[in-house]
This record gives sequence, C-alpha cells and structure tokens, in this order.
Amino acid sequence: MIANYGYIGLFLIAVVLFTLLMVTIPIALRLLGLVPDKPNPIKNAVFECGMETIGKTWVQFNFHYYFYALVFLILDVLVIFLYPWAVSLRVLGVSGFIAVLVLITIVLVGYLYAWKKKVLEWK
Amino acid sequence: MNLTLFIPELTLTVFAILVILLDLFVRQKRVLAQVSISGLVIAGVITIAMWGNSFPAIFNNMLAVDNFALFFKLIFLAVAFLVILASVDYTSRFARFQGEYYALVLLSTLGMMLMAGAADLITLYISLELTSISLYALVGFLKDGKSTEASLKYLLLGAISSAVLLYGMALIFGFTGKTQLGEIAMVIQTMPAQTLLASPALILGMVLLIAGFGFKIAAVPFQMWVPDVYEGAPTPITAYLSVASKAAGFAIILRVFFSAFGQPEWLSLNWGMIFAVLAAIGMTLGNIMAIPQTNIKRLLGYSSIAQAGYLLIGLAAMGFSAGADTAGRSGILFFLASYVFTNMGVFIAIIAISTKLNSDQIEDYAGMGKRTPLVALALTLGLISLIGMPPAAGFMAKFYIFSAAVQHNLLWLVIIAVINSVISAYYYLRVVKVMWLGKPASEEKISQSGTLKLALVLASLGILLLGILPGYVMRLAEFAANMRLY
Amino acid sequence: MIPYQFIWLIFLLPFFSFLIIAFFIRPFVKQESRIAGYTLIAALSISLALSVWTLASVMTAPNHELPVPVINWVVIEGGVTLHLGLLVDALTAVMLVVVTFVSLMIQIYSQGYMRGDPGYHRYYAWMSLFTMSMLGLIVAGNLVFMFVFWELVGLCSYLLIGFWFHKPSAANAAKKAFIVTRVGDFGFLVGILILYMNTGTFDIAELHELAITGVLAGSVLTWGAIGIFAGAVGKSAQFPLHTWLPDAMEGPTPVSALIHSATMVSAGVFLVARMFPLFENSPAALTTVAVIGGVTAIFAASMGLVANDIKRVLAYSTISQLGYMMLGLGTGGVAIGIFHLFNHAFFKALLFLGAGSVNHATGTFDMRLMGGLRRMMPWTYATFVIASLSIAGIWPLSGFWSKDEIVISALAQPVLFVLAMITVFMTAFYMFRAVFMTFGGEYRGGGPEAHDSHPHESPNVMVVPMVALAVLAVFSGLWNVTGHFGALLGHGETHGFFAGLFHPFTQVLPWLSLILAGLGILLAYAIYDKKWVSAERLGRLFRPLYSLFLHKYWLDELYENVIVKTVLLRGLFGSFERFDSRGVDGVVNGVASSAIYGGRALRRMQTGQLQLYGLFMGIGILAIIFAIFFFG
Repeated sequence: MIANYGYIGLFLIAVVLFTLLMVTIPIALRLLGLVPDKPNPIKNAVFECGMETIGKTWVQFNFHYYFYALVFLILDVLVIFLYPWAVSLRVLGVSGFIAVLVLITIVLVGYLYAWKKKVLEWK
Repeated sequence: MNLTLFIPELTLTVFAILVILLDLFVRQKRVLAQVSISGLVIAGVITIAMWGNSFPAIFNNMLAVDNFALFFKLIFLAVAFLVILASVDYTSRFARFQGEYYALVLLSTLGMMLMAGAADLITLYISLELTSISLYALVGFLKDGKSTEASLKYLLLGAISSAVLLYGMALIFGFTGKTQLGEIAMVIQTMPAQTLLASPALILGMVLLIAGFGFKIAAVPFQMWVPDVYEGAPTPITAYLSVASKAAGFAIILRVFFSAFGQPEWLSLNWGMIFAVLAAIGMTLGNIMAIPQTNIKRLLGYSSIAQAGYLLIGLAAMGFSAGADTAGRSGILFFLASYVFTNMGVFIAIIAISTKLNSDQIEDYAGMGKRTPLVALALTLGLISLIGMPPAAGFMAKFYIFSAAVQHNLLWLVIIAVINSVISAYYYLRVVKVMWLGKPASEEKISQSGTLKLALVLASLGILLLGILPGYVMRLAEFAANMRLY
Repeated sequence: MIPYQFIWLIFLLPFFSFLIIAFFIRPFVKQESRIAGYTLIAALSISLALSVWTLASVMTAPNHELPVPVINWVVIEGGVTLHLGLLVDALTAVMLVVVTFVSLMIQIYSQGYMRGDPGYHRYYAWMSLFTMSMLGLIVAGNLVFMFVFWELVGLCSYLLIGFWFHKPSAANAAKKAFIVTRVGDFGFLVGILILYMNTGTFDIAELHELAITGVLAGSVLTWGAIGIFAGAVGKSAQFPLHTWLPDAMEGPTPVSALIHSATMVSAGVFLVARMFPLFENSPAALTTVAVIGGVTAIFAASMGLVANDIKRVLAYSTISQLGYMMLGLGTGGVAIGIFHLFNHAFFKALLFLGAGSVNHATGTFDMRLMGGLRRMMPWTYATFVIASLSIAGIWPLSGFWSKDEIVISALAQPVLFVLAMITVFMTAFYMFRAVFMTFGGEYRGGGPEAHDSHPHESPNVMVVPMVALAVLAVFSGLWNVTGHFGALLGHGETHGFFAGLFHPFTQVLPWLSLILAGLGILLAYAIYDKKWVSAERLGRLFRPLYSLFLHKYWLDELYENVIVKTVLLRGLFGSFERFDSRGVDGVVNGVASSAIYGGRALRRMQTGQLQLYGLFMGIGILAIIFAIFFFG
C-alpha cells in the first residue's frame, strides 16, 4: 500500500527542487553581476495590492451591520431558490408551489422575528 | 406518500416556529415551555404509532424510517421532554431569550431525529450541522464568562471536527462515487479484494469519519472539549449534550458503519479494532481524570467520556461479529436507553440542588441527605446506576454490552472495563458519601418546584424499571437493532 | 412438599424487612422504639420456619432436589439468557436453616446489645439486607445472580464493619475488608467469564452437568474453577487474603458473630461446595483448595496462640476453621466440608456472642484486663466453655464429629494430615488459653469504660440466644453420627445411632486427635490457670516464633509497605518524591491516592487552551492512521 505513495514522494521532491531553483536564480544572477543593484524606497517597499492603508486597521464596525448582512444573506439564498423554481414551475405543479410557499413562510417568520426584535431599526 | 412518514419531524418544525412566533407576542414565558412540551408529546405519540412497521426509506433513499431510527427518535424526544421540564425554573436565570432557548432545543432535537434516519452522507452532514449549530448557541446561553468561553470552544472545535468529517466523506465519495450508504456498501462489496487492499483512501476516509463522529460522542482523543463545555454550559444543556448529542452520534456511527462498512469482514474487523482501542483508552482516561475533580459538572464530563468508552465496546463487538449477530448493536441501544434515564436523573438532581446553592462544587453538596432527602436519594440512585451496580439500569446495560463483547473474544476489553468500573465507583461514591455523611453548611431545607420533581421521579422510575425488569426494553432494542439496509 | 413460592419468600422476607425499616421505620418512628428489631426478628422467624420446611421437603424429595420454575429475567437474542431461577437441593436447604437460625439468634441478642445506640434503626436495616443477600446467594441458580448477591454481601459487610464510621479504625477496617475481598472477587468474575466464554451458560446446574459429563474439561475447567476459588479465598479469608478478617472486629460484636459464623466467610466455603462438580473433575483445582485450606488452618492457628484481644483470638480461630473446611472440601467432598460449616456456625456464633457478653460487662476485649468472670457470669462462662470444647473437638460435642471426618479424609495427603493434626493441638490450646485468661483467676479490673468494678451477667435477651446456640453446639454434630447428613449431601453410608456414637473409639485416629486436643487443654491449664509455667518465659524462650506470630508474619506490613506503597505508587506512578506521605495510611488510601496522583498529572493536559485541544485531535487522528497502516 505504501508503494502507492511513491508518486507523491517523487512529486514532493520535484516541488522542493523547483522552489529552491527559483530562489537561487536571482541570487546567482545578482552575484554574477548580470543584474544592476540600484535600490530605492519604492522598490524596497513590501509589495501589496492597492494602496497603503490610512489609519488603523483595527476599526470597529457597528454590530448592526452584521444583522443587516445576515438578513440580506437569507434573502439571497431565498432568491437562489426562487429563480430555478420559477423557471420550472410548470413542471413541478401544485406540490412544488406549496413547498416553496412553506419555504417562504419560514423565511417570513424569520423576518418577522428580526423585525420584532428591532433588528431593522438603526440605533 | 413520503410526507406521511415525515410527520414527527414536521410536527417538531411547526412547533419550533410556533414557539418563536409566540415568544414575540406572549408575555407569560411559561406558556412557551408548555407549547414545546406538547409539541414533543405529539411527535412522540406519532413516532410510537409508527413503531413496528417496515417502511421504505423516503426522499430518494436519503432518510430511513426503520425501527432503528424510530427508537432513537423516541430517545431524543424523551430527553428533550425531560430537559424542558428541568429547564422551566432554570430559564428564569436568563433575562432575555427564553423563547429562543426552547425553540433551539426543539430544533436541535429535530436535527438529531434526522441524524437517526440519515441514510445518505449529505443528509447526515446537514442534520449534524442543524444539531450542532443549535447546540453552539445553547451552550452560550448563560452569557457569563465561562458559558461564552465554552460556547466559543465548542463552536471552533466543532467546526474543526466538521471539516474532518467532510474530508472523510469526500474521500469515501471519491472512492466509491456514491453518497447513499447502501450504494456505498454495494460498491465496496462488489470491488475485488485486491483493489480494496491496495487503496488507502477507503481506510483513511473511515478513520476521518471516526474522528468526526468521535467528537460528538466524546471518544478519546476527540474529547478535549468535554469538561470545559460541560462546566460552562447551562446545566440542562449539559444534560442534553451528555445524553442526546451522544446518542445521536452513536446512532449515526451504528448506521454508517453497519450499513456501509459492515462487509467485507476484514474491513469490519479493522474498524472494530479501532473502536476497541478507543474504548479502552476512553474508559481509562475518563475514569482516572474524573478522580481529582471538585466540580460536579466537570466530574460528570469525565464520567461521560468513560461511559462513551463502555458504549464503544458495543461498537467493537459489532465490528468483530461482522454484522453476524445483533447483540453488540442492541446492547448499545439498551445502554443508551438506560443512560438516558440515568444521566438525566443525575443532572436533574444537580439542577435541583445547584440552582438553590448557586454552586457546582462537590463539597457544597454536604448534608444534602438531610436538607433534601428525595433529591439526594434520586442522585444516589443515578450514581449507582452510573457505576453499574444492581438494581439500577446501569448494571443491566453494562452486563448486556460486556456479554456481547465476551462472545466475540474481547475478554481483554471486558476485563479493562470491569477494572474501570471499580475505579469509577471511587469517585461516584465520594459524591454519595459527601451527601449523606457530610456536615451540612446550614440546616435549611431545600424545596423544589413541581415540574422538577416530576422530571426527577420519571427519571428515577426509568432507572429502576430498566434495572429490574429490563426484558421489555431489551425486546425493543433487539427489534430496533435489526436495521434495514437501503 | 413446600410450594416454591415459599422458597422465594425465605429471602424476600428479610428484604421486605429492610424496605420497611429503611423507608418507614427509620424516617418516621422514634429512636427509642425497638420496632425495627422486632420487624426483622419476625421476618427471620418465618424464614426459619420456611427453611426447616424446605429442608424437610428436600429430605423426602427424589434426588434431594426441588424443582423451582424459572423466570426468564433477561433474554438477549442470540446471546445470554439469565434465569431468575433458584437451585434448591440439600446443600441449599442445610445452608438456609443454618443462616436463618444463626441470624435469628443474633438479632434477638442484638436487641440487648444495640439498645440505645444512635444507629439502632440503621443497624437493623443493614442487618436485614445482609441476611437477605446471604440467603439470596444460597438459593441463586445462576452465577450472575449469585455474583450480584455476593457483591451485596460484601457491600453490607463494609457498611456493618464500618458501622461506627466516626471511629477511624472502624472506617479503615471496613475499607480494608471491602478492598481485600474485591481482589478475590475479581478472580471470581474472571472465573465466571472463562466458564461463560467456553460454555455459553451461567446456569449452575448446567455447568455441573457439563463438568460431570466431561464436556467441560482440561485447562478451561481448571482455570475457571481456580478463578471461582479465588473469590472464595477472598470472602472466606483464606491465605493470602486473610488479612481483613482480624481487623473486621471494629464493627458491633453481633456483626462479627454473624460474619464469622453463618454469613460472609461461609459464603466462600459454600461457593466451593456449590460448584463442587467443577472442582471434582479438575484434580489441580481440588488440590489447590486442599493445600490452601491446610496451610491456612495451621497458619491462622499459630497467630491465634499469641493474640491478647479475645475477638482476635476468635477471628484467627475462624480463619483456621475455615481452612479446615476447605481442606475437608479439597480432600473429602461436599458433605465433609459443609458438615463442619454447619457445626462451626453454631459454636462460633456462640463464642462471639459470649465475647460480646463479656465485653458488655467489662467494657474491654483485652483478655489481660479480664479474669475471674467464672462466678460473675455463670451462663456466659458455661456456654463459652461448651463452645470451646466443641471447637477443640472433644467427644461427643459437635466439633468432634466434623473435625474427625476432615482429619480422616486428609490422610490421603500426608503433609496436610500432619498440618491438620498440629492444628488440632493448637486450637485446643488457644481456645482454652482464652477461657482461662477470661474466666479463670481474679478479676483484673476491666477496660477504662467498664460500667463498674463488679461485672454482671448480661440481660436475658442476650443469654437466651446463647443458651439456644449452646444446645446446638452440643447436639448438632449428632446428625451425622448415623451418616444421614452425608447421605443427604450425596455420599456416605448410614448406620445405627449408637453404633455411630461409639464407633470413633474403635479407631486410632480419633484417639490421636482427642489426645492432642486434651494435651492442648492441659497445657493451657498449666500455663494460664495454675501458672506452673510462666507465659513470659515461654515467650522469651521462643522469641523468634513468638514475635513472628505476634506480628502476623509481617504480612500486613508486606502488603501495605512493600506492595502498595512501593510497587504500586513508586513503580507505577513515578515521581514519588512529591508524593504526600500523609496520604498513605493503609491499603485503600494508598491505592486511592495513587489514582488521584495519576489523575492530577493527566489534568495538566487539560489546560483550557483551544489550540492544544485542536492539536490533540490532530495527533489523535494521525495516531490512528499510523496504527492502522502499521498494524492493520
């Protein structure tokens, strides 16, 4: 059984060798003097996409955002279910209609709950 | 029609929604408990009415409705019933969210009922998550430091174990191309032995499944969350976790390993051996670590690890018998039934005492024999049952499982288990000793509400009934253990 | 013929008495009331009557066995079936009569002895349960059922020995008794499992059948039988598990009387007798029984020679006599061993009640503080002497008959025979040493808690049971003079009464044992009554032996210091330097503390850190996978 892992082992060795090779090429070129060495601040900066951040990264969000996000998520999921259902409503017939009605009812209860618990009010 | 066989689950869903809705409009929160209980009773009655028939699996063979599932559904409903009875007073501790509490208990029960019937890896995973997510929330319901910590730990470790489980399922699916348990079994059995032996994916997937389920049943080494979560959670939820959640885990393991991996024999011997070793380690570790505990909920946490070890003996016996006889399976079913009453009795008694004392320390239980003799008596009975001494249910349960194991040449395991039972007597009896012989801190009597007493009496009666006249429940367990293969 | 429902009643009645006392009398009736005692006495009286009826029925029944319909208690499909059945044969019936009678006498006696004790109701509750468990053990028809009662007997003895649990010595003795007998119980359980694994049945009658027909044979039978014998060794305080019995004196004296005569210790002998067909067909097991019995007999008797506590002398004599019974079982058979048990129950109960009576008067158990009680307590004296003569084996008292049979049957094994003969001498000596030290000479003042300087005879409620037992101690042996007892239990021929009565004088062996016993009594008389020889000088003369006996062969020290403290604690749990030596003051505390220590070490793993928990899960999974791939 262990012989089956032989391929994985070979693969692993190839990966390690390849990585080492990729790291050593620029260093070797630099040492051979084939590449010019002219550093400046922009070159030395850590490469990130976009621009440098302004202010602290640990900003606190109002917890209500999450409530909205959750409620929105439920709506999203509902819509995902409703599209295919609407397309094939003709095939599914009455039972399909009732099933989705039940689903909508349950989601509605959720909305009702959120509403009564004052999730939708911004304080 | 599919839906008629789904009525118990549907009932519970309707009642869970009803509780949420009522909570929005009703001021008197006791009503919610009554509604939940009536929902459970209705679901229970329908489940009993369905008992004994041989129904086909529903929803394209994704959900089994055999007697095995019905047996477990009854167990979950009974536990939820007792938990809610025991919670009526306890919920007054929560300033808010009482309605959510009951609704979540109902929803997790629903999840467990689905788990008991799941005959497809996908159904299985969804129902497991439904159960777990409800429980994560319930564990944190006290909203104090310990409870929140427990909830977070449970959530994170639960997520890890879910991931492991999914990985296992993915491997099994990748290996067989099926998710339905019966079809998986078909693929495995028709495969030539050479191919099977040469492919580690199946074994690997199986081990990962064991790890994922092992988390639910608190099997060593996946038990690390148990003491912390048991200590932090509200006591009724601790009881619920220790009984229902564990039973659900065993239901799934039994079904998956029996129907999907029951054949060929070398496979079942393989996982039988894993379970045997896990059982030995679990019992020993649980019992030894329970000895120095001073908090009774932590103590019971370790005790539940040990009990999971005893239950695993049944799984080992099932593996070693290669599905040939039912003793291992029905032993687990009977053990779980007796464990329901035993552990619920113990926890209800603890709720009764701890809510009044506001302490879970064992030394504070001193003199309870004088201050509240009936509760102390019930707790003593429960602990005796946990040790496995007659005439309590625990004795019969252990006897059943051990005899099943002895039949399949697992004498070494039974000897370890017997030694462990002796060790466990030490810490269980310590609690009994403190209660009856310790000096009470005050002479004041402790009184209990009617619902709590009712729950306590029901649990104690169950312990005695299963201990003295086990025949009837054994018949049921044997009947239920004959799982249908789909 | 007795209806079988009544046989059930024999052991259910004490159980009902337990329920009534525990749940009605103890919570609701005042402390001064003595109704709890009367409840149990009434229950036991009926049980005794029913037992006698059972015995009468058994004697006339074919094969000396009564059929009792079984109830299927537990039926596991394709697995075990447990019958709630009774096995009622001659052995059962005899034991029933002995246990109910002795227990009844002791309960009557206790009405006087336990009067005014704050735990009076509790005492009778446990006594009910104790008697019930013993009776259940006797009638049990399968090994599981029997094991349950076996454990209950152990539990009750724990509760009763530790009855005065506020005394640390009592609590420790109780724990010691519980733990030491559990070592034997473990063997018993393994024996049961071995037999079950190979036969698939727990039913005693079926096991007999299998052993007799030879289906069950070879090493399975031997190991099964030896496992069962291990249980008997623990309960019957045979060497090397005898250490708990001398300490078990810490309970109330009637409890000691019950433990030493009819219940608890005789349970082991009964067990061997009950499973005898298994032993009979396994020479190795049978020899083990005989050797352990013979060694225990002389071993315990030697320690009895030097003990100063009257109850300890009696305790060693019990161990020694139990050794005789095992020897009788091992060399002769059921009838011989059980006949000695039968006789022993009466005179040993009587001796303990006598010791209790003496203690009641003088407030001590130390014989060095007694003396001269002959005149002050004539009834106690008379009955005590009768019992002592009986245990010493003087014709025609009961002890003579059964001991004689054992000695004769031991002739088959010359070494054991010699041991048995020496024990005869020792027994006579230490019993009469106790008699002369207690009753002879002048009164030496009693214990510090003595009621007054002039001890009185005990009240009638205590004297009457003693007299009743004394009558039996004289006559019970005559039952087998005609050989009927042996015939009832399966072997031996019967003959006329007078022929049997004087038969011993035509033989050499009875003369020999009578002479040895007489010499023992004479020596005791010379040393302790007439003081012709100084006991101190003798002690100095045989100093090494004397101190060996006095320190009980250092076995207690061996168990506690070497095995428990060193091997268990240091060997298994390492890091002994941090171990708190205060935690170890005995076998039990030692074992418990070591487990606690192990638990503490493991608890350090439970740090509460989530990462660590996750890590353990990961390691666990990896470990399983590795185990599978390397061993699977």
